[in-house]
Amino acid sequence: MGVPAFRMAGCAATGIYRHPAAAQTACTDTERLLPIIPAMPDLPLSGIRVCDLTWIIAGPTATRVLADFGADVIRVEHQQAIDPIRVGRPINGERTTLNNSGFFNYFNRNKRSMLLNVRHPLGMELLHRLIAISDVVIENFSSGVLDSWELSYEAQKTINPGVIYCSISGFGHSGRDKHFTTWGPTAQALSGLTLMSGLPGEPPAGWGYSYMDHTAGYYGAIAILMALHHRNRTGEGQHIDISQVEAGMVLTGPAILDYTVNGRSFRRPGMPPGNHSWEPAIAPHNTYPCAGEDRWIAIAVRNDAEWLAMVRAMGEPAWANDGRFSTNASRLAHQDELDAGIAVWTSTRDEYRLMHLLQAAGVPAGVCQSPGDRVEKDEQFRARNWWAAMPHAEMGEASEFDGVTPRLSHTPGTNRTASPLLGAHTHEVTTDLLGLSNEEFAEYEAMGVFM
Amino acid sequence: MSGPLTGVRVIEYTGPLGQLAGKLLADMGADVVAIEPPDGSPARAVGPFVDDVPGPDRSLNYWYHNTNKRSVVLDLRAAEGVAAWKSLVAKADIVIEDCAPGELDTVGLGHASLRPVIDSLIWCSITPFGQTGPWASYQATDMVGLALGGPMMMNGYDAEGVPGAPPIRGHGDQGYNTACHYAVQGILAALLYRDKTGQGQHVDASMHEACSSTTEVGLPYWFTQRKNVIRQTGRHAAAQRTEPWLHMAADGRHALIFGVGRDNASWKRIKEWFQADGFGKQLDEPRFDEPAARQPGRGSPEAAEVMSELSRFIAAHSADEVYRGGQERRQSWGVVRAPSEALGDPHWEDRGFWTEVSGEGRDAPVRMPGAPYAFSATPWELRRPAPKLGEHTAELLAEWLT
Repeated sequence: MGVPAFRMAGCAATGIYRHPAAAQTACTDTERLLPIIPAMPDLPLSGIRVCDLTWIIAGPTATRVLADFGADVIRVEHQQAIDPIRVGRPINGERTTLNNSGFFNYFNRNKRSMLLNVRHPLGMELLHRLIAISDVVIENFSSGVLDSWELSYEAQKTINPGVIYCSISGFGHSGRDKHFTTWGPTAQALSGLTLMSGLPGEPPAGWGYSYMDHTAGYYGAIAILMALHHRNRTGEGQHIDISQVEAGMVLTGPAILDYTVNGRSFRRPGMPPGNHSWEPAIAPHNTYPCAGEDRWIAIAVRNDAEWLAMVRAMGEPAWANDGRFSTNASRLAHQDELDAGIAVWTSTRDEYRLMHLLQAAGVPAGVCQSPGDRVEKDEQFRARNWWAAMPHAEMGEASEFDGVTPRLSHTPGTNRTASPLLGAHTHEVTTDLLGLSNEEFAEYEAMGVFM
Repeated sequence: MSGPLTGVRVIEYTGPLGQLAGKLLADMGADVVAIEPPDGSPARAVGPFVDDVPGPDRSLNYWYHNTNKRSVVLDLRAAEGVAAWKSLVAKADIVIEDCAPGELDTVGLGHASLRPVIDSLIWCSITPFGQTGPWASYQATDMVGLALGGPMMMNGYDAEGVPGAPPIRGHGDQGYNTACHYAVQGILAALLYRDKTGQGQHVDASMHEACSSTTEVGLPYWFTQRKNVIRQTGRHAAAQRTEPWLHMAADGRHALIFGVGRDNASWKRIKEWFQADGFGKQLDEPRFDEPAARQPGRGSPEAAEVMSELSRFIAAHSADEVYRGGQERRQSWGVVRAPSEALGDPHWEDRGFWTEVSGEGRDAPVRMPGAPYAFSATPWELRRPAPKLGEHTAELLAEWLT
């Protein structure tokens, strides 16, 4: 056998931080001889390191995607400004411990956690070291927070010229209202998404969760992956400024064009149209009650052929063959009678049987599934091995998760570890990656750097 | 061309489900070629249309989701079209299609037929339920995806607010959008792997999985406590009933309010604002001093009084006054806007958020949303509006195949 493979390009590439003052000196033998440890499963983002300053949902959603695909995501946490989701319900047990939130566990799998007191000068200096060896720095504080840490993009570039810095905030880092702040529902309201959800004549139903925390996070992950590709080709890093409200506004494009082209606002009588279709205009298109409490099926008939198939599936009831329902245009014109007839048929039946019956006839139909339905009753998820369990010290031997989507045939994303206990990796990150000796670690700890 | 994906070649064969994926790549510099059948992508038949007159080049839905793409018409039922498809795929880095699983392979044009032959090719199939499993061939629209994936069952109304109300689908094809957001994550992860190794792969993107992974606290509640959250009007579904967030303002619009007086500093700012306008004089009484007494979840009379005073205050002001006044006092409050109502907000002008396009029936440029992210070095860019049907067939075939 020849020489084992060694990392090229000097000590920085070992991933071990070298203080600038030491950069001129030769690598120690230990560093030089550090062999490449083959990344266990081959993951698409193996070798990418993320300095993760995010909290709550939007930022952690972005880093969840990166972690699922193999990036080494290091959450930098501070006990004086704890991530509120660490105490977010649901929790396992009676009292919050910072480590028993099911909410936190879901969004922070596959990540590491280090405690770092950035208000201590040595803590800030360690953060600089972590930035120096990271490919990506990401945060979702209010606009201006990282400037107040003297870690603007310009400052980060002096530490790491190729750094990709992604910020996610409510209104972005520029513009007259940049100091305004959002939660997911704020972004949903301001972008129009809340108004686009509801029954006509009723208050908005909106979204029953922070859709825009998820989606701002998705745009964060997408942007970072694009920036990594650009850096692979050119060596150039950059700042990515994401506004959660803008990310919501890009999800309403056709509604905005309907205004700028046709002068029609979504705020008008009869809108939003509940579960009737907006565009394309088709009928029947609605949710229908099924047997049992709060059970519903969504049915969408796209054309006359599907309508005829549905009539057959319903057993050819006389009302359905009425001329009022023979074309899409006339079905749209008589939608209330149409819905009433269908509801009579569905309301005594089991929602899953109805779905299978209609799908067998080629008609788009689906049960409105609760979280419990998805886990316990959904044959598709079960057949595709969608559910997973991983041990967690405070969430149990089999804390539950969903899978990684989409599925890559050669290097699929994986569930490797449940969420990290607060500060579980402080020692390993500071000594393995940031160059502290065990003695220094103990000194720093005594000085309150890791809290 | 300056986007981060400059030089990446993409072949796209999509309808309403998959078209956003190609836009996200095209808007950041990729050369995205939309292959269409002779009668056009089904997405061209989705309204709204310019002046409500349908036509392949008049769909505003198509205008929005196909910026920066080129359109090539191929008849995949004819030998010539089949040959051209295979030749174009051989020149591409990425293929994106949203056909039914196996549909393209029945004529030898799908990933199972072509991807193994081209080792470096990344091929993404976006489908309602994924390539495998008992529902793989089930039909879905956006609403059906949002129903089965779980979002709908969490959106709706308080039972006493709108009795018998169904779960509600938020509009704007958010199921399709979410499928594409995940598809693009997978495509880009595969692209980065290819940067390292030269190896391509298949990406199986399921709207069902994407939607199910986009329901925040829904799954954690089931995983942790085997409990389903309940739908509530205009706010988060929750394990227990929570206080309302939407309050009708004087101008008939809703203001979005939460977290009133959770800490004493913000309570003081809010109280002084109310009182300067003649509301909430009684809030100076010491019984309101403790943050706990003001929290609606505790069911105290003080909390109820704060809520009722808040409602009175909002009813006497415009929703924008409440939104801006709250934000100036460091509250993450909002106003429920129609999408087009954001056009008048100067903050988005400051950021250069809007972009402009023209198209059939509208020669003068009209506004629509621009970038979801601002890149400092390789910015989002509108190079061309959505293509007319077949606009680039000759140009593209000459450019790629000669």
